[in-house]
Amino acid sequence: MSDKPVRIPYYPGCTMKTKALGFERSAMDCAEVIGFEMDELKDWNCCGASYPLTQDNLMGLTAPTNILVEAERRCQKEAIDPNLLTLCVFCYNTLKRTEFAFGQDKKKLETVNAFLDRKYEGSIRVVHYLEYLRDVIGFDNLAKMVKTDMSKFKVAPYYGCLLLKPQKEIGLDDPEDPVILHNFLDALGCKVIDFPAQVDCCGSYLVMREPEKVSKLSYDILADANEYGAETLVTACPLCQSNLDQSQGNKVQFADLDGIPVLYFTQLLAVAFGLDTKTHQLEEHHIDPRPLFEANGSDSESK
Amino acid sequence: MLINPVEKDQKRIRELELATGETISDCYQCGKCTAGCPASMDTPPSVIIQYLKLGQFDMAKNAESIWSCMACLTCSERCPKNVSPAAIIEGLKNLHLRDMDPRVSLEAMDRDFLAHSPQMAIISGFRKFI
Repeated sequence: MSDKPVRIPYYPGCTMKTKALGFERSAMDCAEVIGFEMDELKDWNCCGASYPLTQDNLMGLTAPTNILVEAERRCQKEAIDPNLLTLCVFCYNTLKRTEFAFGQDKKKLETVNAFLDRKYEGSIRVVHYLEYLRDVIGFDNLAKMVKTDMSKFKVAPYYGCLLLKPQKEIGLDDPEDPVILHNFLDALGCKVIDFPAQVDCCGSYLVMREPEKVSKLSYDILADANEYGAETLVTACPLCQSNLDQSQGNKVQFADLDGIPVLYFTQLLAVAFGLDTKTHQLEEHHIDPRPLFEANGSDSESK
Repeated sequence: MLINPVEKDQKRIRELELATGETISDCYQCGKCTAGCPASMDTPPSVIIQYLKLGQFDMAKNAESIWSCMACLTCSERCPKNVSPAAIIEGLKNLHLRDMDPRVSLEAMDRDFLAHSPQMAIISGFRKFI
């Protein structure tokens, strides 16, 4: 890549600064290798986490719009392409759907702008890290940067819901038969485990009210991946990661599974790049993925 | 069940349609939403919509199962008639929440949950249940 890295405005969101630090740090380390810099917005707020499904109250759009304004100002000031990079799937979904809503209905934008100090012009395009790798970097180029032999890794790509749905608003991939994570893992040289539960819901925020249901749904997904021969799952969503990983603490429900590590896709990318993973918080996972890394011959911490 | 749509219910159903942007009469009860729903609902999405089609607003609004929806959007994605059961369910939930009738209590909330869950779970939960 060119010697001067491309800088892209980046919105982290709350979870990325707390429970998913390993996701952000691994993504930033990998970006450095690939040749771009995730340039965090200086002033940002929570996006609201879930996009309001009803249309009678636009207050839920003020928080994401405030973020889009900040990104728009930054891009205009620096005269760069109006893109905003995201990692967290909930943030991506909320910001992307807000972008779509304003694109469809300028009146909505005017109404929301009336509540904001700074007015949003509607120029920002929200991009997920995975989308950037596919569309701007290219998975074939990514494959050339891989340093570690990943062929022993049997990895199931787990998509969940909000990375893909609703398709007409997000438009990243087919919500029933997606390939983007498959192709990403292919580029890394992993053995990709295609499994039926790849787009099934993990239970999401229901963990607040019905954790036993989340545990059951998580079990079904992990057992399915296990049956198809996966040793680990990758995801882009911190809530999927948390639900699938933490649920395995329920020893009764998970009695017949050995403990399946659930990784952020960037954590595996860092391993493929041969990076030092010490700051990627692998030790924070309920099911520690490090023994799997060692068994597959990529003890990346020693490099 | 006695099918007897009342004027008051028809008005509330029209209000729900306005709030959600959905047209309930578009549903032709194919059941794809229910077939794909991961929430194991006692009263599944297609039945909730059928209650509304029959003018039985309270049957829909008071179905306990609406609180098990995780907004995964599988139902909305698969609907051949472009209806979003998830949006209708959220519209029904909002009627309870706007009447100050929350479904989780902050005081009774599990401290372990607050300490260990990603922020997005806590914020989404607050938005959907309080």
